Order: sequence, then C-alpha cells, then structure tokens
Amino acid sequence: MPTDVNAMDRDGKLRPGSSVLRKLRLPAASASGLKSSHFRRPWVAAGLIAPQLLILLFFFFIPSWKALSLSFVQVDPFGGRQIFVGLENFTSLLSSPEYRASAWFTLWFTVVQNVALISISLLLAFATDYIVRCRTVYKSIILLPYAIAPVISGVLWAFLFNPAVGPIAQWIHAAGLPWDPNRRPMDAQILLIVASVWKYICYNYIFLVASLLAVPRSLLEAATLDGAGPVRRFFTISMPLIAPTLLFLVVMNFVHGLFETFGIIDAVTRGGPGGSTNSLVYKVYQDGFVMLDLGSSAAQSVILMGIAILFTILQFRGIGRKVNYQV
Amino acid sequence: MFQNSKNRHWLSAGSRTIGLGMLAAVMALPASAQERVQIEWWNAMGGRLEEIANKMVSDFNASQDKYEVVSVLKGNYEETMAAMVSAYRVGEQPAIVQAAERGFLTMLKSGAVKPVPALMAEEGYDTDWDNFVAPVAGFYLVDGKPAALPFNTSTPVFWYNADQFREAGFDAPAETWQELETQLYAMKEQGVTDCGMVLNSDFFWGLMENYAATHDQQWGTLANGFGGLGTEFVFNESELLTGHLERMSKWMDDDVLVQAGQGLSPSQLFVSGECATWVASTAAHSAVENGAEFDWSATFLPAEEGVELKNSTIGGGALWVLEGKSDEEYAAAAAFLDFVASVPTQVWWSKATGYVPVTNAAYDALTEEGYFDAHPTREVAILQLNRGEPTDNSRGFRFGNHNQAMQMLVEEVQKVWTGEKDAQEALDAAAARGNEVLRQYERLHAD
Repeated sequence: MPTDVNAMDRDGKLRPGSSVLRKLRLPAASASGLKSSHFRRPWVAAGLIAPQLLILLFFFFIPSWKALSLSFVQVDPFGGRQIFVGLENFTSLLSSPEYRASAWFTLWFTVVQNVALISISLLLAFATDYIVRCRTVYKSIILLPYAIAPVISGVLWAFLFNPAVGPIAQWIHAAGLPWDPNRRPMDAQILLIVASVWKYICYNYIFLVASLLAVPRSLLEAATLDGAGPVRRFFTISMPLIAPTLLFLVVMNFVHGLFETFGIIDAVTRGGPGGSTNSLVYKVYQDGFVMLDLGSSAAQSVILMGIAILFTILQFRGIGRKVNYQV
Repeated sequence: MFQNSKNRHWLSAGSRTIGLGMLAAVMALPASAQERVQIEWWNAMGGRLEEIANKMVSDFNASQDKYEVVSVLKGNYEETMAAMVSAYRVGEQPAIVQAAERGFLTMLKSGAVKPVPALMAEEGYDTDWDNFVAPVAGFYLVDGKPAALPFNTSTPVFWYNADQFREAGFDAPAETWQELETQLYAMKEQGVTDCGMVLNSDFFWGLMENYAATHDQQWGTLANGFGGLGTEFVFNESELLTGHLERMSKWMDDDVLVQAGQGLSPSQLFVSGECATWVASTAAHSAVENGAEFDWSATFLPAEEGVELKNSTIGGGALWVLEGKSDEEYAAAAAFLDFVASVPTQVWWSKATGYVPVTNAAYDALTEEGYFDAHPTREVAILQLNRGEPTDNSRGFRFGNHNQAMQMLVEEVQKVWTGEKDAQEALDAAAARGNEVLRQYERLHAD
C-alpha cells in the first residue's frame, strides 16, 4: 500500500529502487503484501514451493487418490479380492440411520463446542487485562492444557467422570443428579464437549489476547474519557476490531470439531454408548480400521474431504478478503 | 514480527525432531544385521500376559542359536488384525501373527496365509494334528487339519468373590440365572456389595454368544456358518437370548450389573473386590491370582432354570503364518511354532496364564501332575468346553468378517442400556446389520 512506502521513506528505510532491493530481485515495496509479491525467476519459486508440494503429494494427493479409488469398490481387507460397486458405498451410507446419526452428532458437537469455546475464551481474554496479580500464573494455567496430548487428557476426563470411581462423578451423584456417560448418551456427549473445550480453549485464548493487545490504547483511552465503562468499551471498540480474529477462530473451531476429534473420542467414549458419540471422523476409523470395511470407510473419507474443501472455499471467500495478511 | 519469530522457532524445533528421528532410524539398523534369522511375531497379549508371552519368546531364543523371534505387542485383537492387514498390503507383514478365533474365517479365506500343516511338513517337523483337545479340534480343523496353530485357547467362566457370598449367607453362587438374581439382589440389599456383577468388555462373547451356545440356541443358520458362506444371523429369534438381554438390562437399571466405562478396566473392578461377580475368560487367572486379595473362585456359567447346558465355545487366538516371507524366515517360524506346540511349553503356558491346554498330551501332563487338584478353578474351563455332545449351535461360530458384525451387535445392545431400544428391537437391528456384512462377505468370496 502506498501509505507504507511513504512511511518507510520518512524513516529512511528501504526505498523503492534501492540497490538492496535490486540485488534481491524482489519487487519494490510498492507491491508489498504477501498476496501480490512474485518472483522474477520462476525456478526460484518452484524450488521454494517444492518441499511443500512434496509433502502435499505424499500426505494429501496420493492418499486422496487412494481413498477415491477405494470408495467405488468393495474389497477384501487383504486386497486379494475387489469388486467394483459404483456408488453403492455412498448410497448405502446415506441411507444408513447410523451414518445420519453420526452426521447430526458431529454438527451438534461442533456448533456447541464452537459457541462455548468462543464465549469462554473471550471472557478469559477480556479478564486478562483486569488481573493485577499473578498474571503469568493465570496465563500459564489457561495455556497448560494445550501442552497435554489429547489421549492423555481424554483418559483423565474419562476417569474423573467415571460413574463407578471418578471423584467428580461422585460429587455430581452427591448433588443428587444422575450421571452415567456409559448409559446416558447426553452425558457422554456433554463429557466429550467439556473435554474438548478444555483442550482447545487456550488456542482460542492466545489469539484473542493477542488481538485484544493490538487494539489501539488511544481509542480505549478516548472512550474512557468519554465515560464508557470496561464492558461498553469492549463491545463497542474491541469487539469490532478483533472481528477478523473471531471469524478466523470460528472457522478453526469448526475444523477442530469436524476433523480433529479422533483422539479425544477414542479416549473418552470410544464412540459409545450405542454410537451416540460416533463422530464422522471417528466412524471413518471405526469402519476402516476396526471393522476393516475399507470401501465404506473410503467413501466416508471422500465425503469428509468434500466438506473440508467446501470449508476452505468458504473461508477464503468469506474471510480471506476481510483479513489482510500484510506482514 | 512476534509471530514471525515464533514460527521460525517452531520450524527449527520441527527439523530437530525429524533429525533425531532419522538418527534413531539409522542407529536401529545394525540390530537387524545379525547372524540369527530374525522374525517378528505380532500379538495381542497385553497387560499381565505381555510378560508371560515375552518370557516364552526369550525362552525360545535361548533354546537355540539359529533363529530369533521378536514379540511385538500391537494392542488388542482388533488392533493387531488392523495393523497386520495394513502391513500386508504394503508387504511389511510379520512372519507370524496372532489372530482371534473371531477372525478365523476371514484369515482362512484371506489368501494371505500359509497353512501351518504344510509349513511344518515342508520344514520336516512331524506334528501330530490329531492330538488337539476336542473343542479345539472341532473349531480349528478344516478337512482334518488346522490352518493355524491353536495357541491361547479360553472360554468364559463365572468368577466370584467367595467372601462376599459368605457374608451374605450363601455357600456359593447359584447355578441358575434365576437364583443368581435373587442372590445378587440380596447382596446389594444387605449392603455386602454395591456392584453385583461387572460387565466385561467382551460381554458379547461371554454373556451372549456363549449363552446361546450353552443353551443350544441357534446364532446363525447353516450350523453357525460351519456349513457355508450363505449363513444368516438368527440370534434375534431366540426367546431365551432376548429374555437374557432384558434381564441384563434390568440388572443394569437396578445398579446390580455395572459397566466399568472408559478409564477403568472391568478386571480392576473385580480384582479390587468392588464387584462380587464377573463373567470373563479363564485367562483372567493370571490377573486374578496376581491381584485379588480375597477368597476368589471360578465356576461354570449359570443356566436358565430347567435347561441342561451344552458345551461353551472357545475363544482366544491362533498363530497364523503369513505369505510372502523368505525360506529362512519360514524355517524360523516353523521352529518357533514347534516350540510353542511342544508339551513342556504348553504346560508352562497354561499354568502361567490360565489358558486351556490345547493338546491332550499337555492336558494329561497337567492332570498327572495333580495340578487340577491343587488348582480346581483351572479345570472349570476344560470341563465346560467338553460338557455334553456338541451340537451345531454349540460348536462355535464361523462367520466372514465376524468382527464387524460383532461391533454392530455391541452398538445395538448398548442402545438397550441407554433405553433407546428394547431388547428385541436391538437384536433385530443387530441381526439385520450383521446380515449385510455376511452378504457382502459372501459376494466378495463367492468362487
């Protein structure tokens, strides 16, 4: 942007056309911003993106191709026998009540988790500014869960809330409330959401604290002078300014909820009771790696891939334009 | 800027990890460059059994200097199977894998196994295939020979805490489900225990399939699948089984039957003295003998009033030799299998674990030694497996992809416990879903 270039000029830093820039063969800062930068020699660019492309080839394109080709066949797990069945894997999935239940659960789980994550971490981030003592301790406690592997934290939650021996389950029982995630699907789902929210809260928190710090002090001070209280300042000044971060987090939380629940479900509920916490991703694992029904599992992952692509498009269209990734 | 430097830091941490991984891989290489022929045995012997299995393998390795077996624990039976299947597809399979009885037909028709009798004959071992105890032979033999070496064979038995039964004024657990119900409810009422019975994680086997077998109820048509791939599940038509599931559900509603749930294993709840009874494999001997600090015992599975029980079915695993290995590796595999099948190993293994001796010779050796007089609970499984004349309903189960149908059954039964379905609806749904699996298997394997 032109304003940046002017600022640089005044500060005596890189000027467009300077010898340094010419040597680097980089475009002048007038074309700054990552989106618009380009290289004059194409092989440099090719060389630089090659490692990433290789990673994509081995961890995305080849597996995707495998999944796609498996989704149209029924196959013996050992690969010895294979029958082409066309769209049968897809049609039987879509007509299966178990798959629909799994899709509903995934959606429900993702939305509730998202709302809980955003509101709790927003509250915590907002409170960070108003904590006077032990701010480091406060931050560390919030950040700690992210350092714990999902399986470990999952086992921990499962144990704490185990109706037979878990201490927290005993408190709930003592309070006269029924609690049994082994028999009450809703309890299992709640437990899973709590465990998952606890796990990802710090991720949301880091981003929100950082973006709240970026809100110009001057604006907040001006509002204070005008007599606005902390809550009013938060909603009228900070909120609109951190909106891009919020949108980014909503998308990320959707991605977590839709695609990254495997570890926690495997540790906390294993998809039970009665398949009530069997998310789409967990079902891919269950059907493919436990039941060895590779055709159906591949069809499910193709559907998931479709959803992921849709999300990526939505993210770039809806949010990418509003957020400027300028360095 | 802040973010930038952070990124760089992560990047360097990442490349360090990769570097370390490569270093570790390089350092691991020389281990395989030894004179002995090394083969892997993938197994599902977790927990207490892991130590015992490792001891057996190191005994084999110490017994000769040509071969070296490496025992690799791959998780439970399903995980071991999944790991082996993925390894097989890329040609990285182990020489020997342990697969559960449930996977018998799947393994047999996989085209990925080398039949053990052929292997043993090629390698010059004279193995007597008629020496297996009857229930093992009845299950594993196809045309008079086993495709795999029957290894760890078990059957569910009824475990109980004798102290708690005495405290409630009972000499021993009742022999019928009806009387047992009275006993367990009485124990709960008297405050002897809060948990009458703990539900084992393989309850579908101990409390359902074996219930059907011992009560001579048909699980699937065509002799439970022994008669061909056209078999269909009909367990939902058994009134006894439906009633049994209703009873379990009622016990659960009344907190007499308890699920351990995630984060806790059912065996912990029995071994710690929390729960009075437990229907589980006889192989639990290794865990119970080692951990229980009360007067425990095991007896036969209960019967419905007025029913004379048949034999129960076997569970556990067999050792399969996989295709695609070199001659030396097969020589090593045969040597290991010969060691495993030998009478001294069988006797030692059975004593250490609680698994049933699979050969008559091993059983006779244990009897002569007076082992069963000193350890009467060890013989319960054998007597139960040999009880009466086996029928088509009690010989065992031979279904393609049975593991898949079993998972569906578990999911549907859980719906009874959550109150979503009644017992009949759940069994109907499980049979219908299971039949789709059977038809899919039949379609793939129709020759």
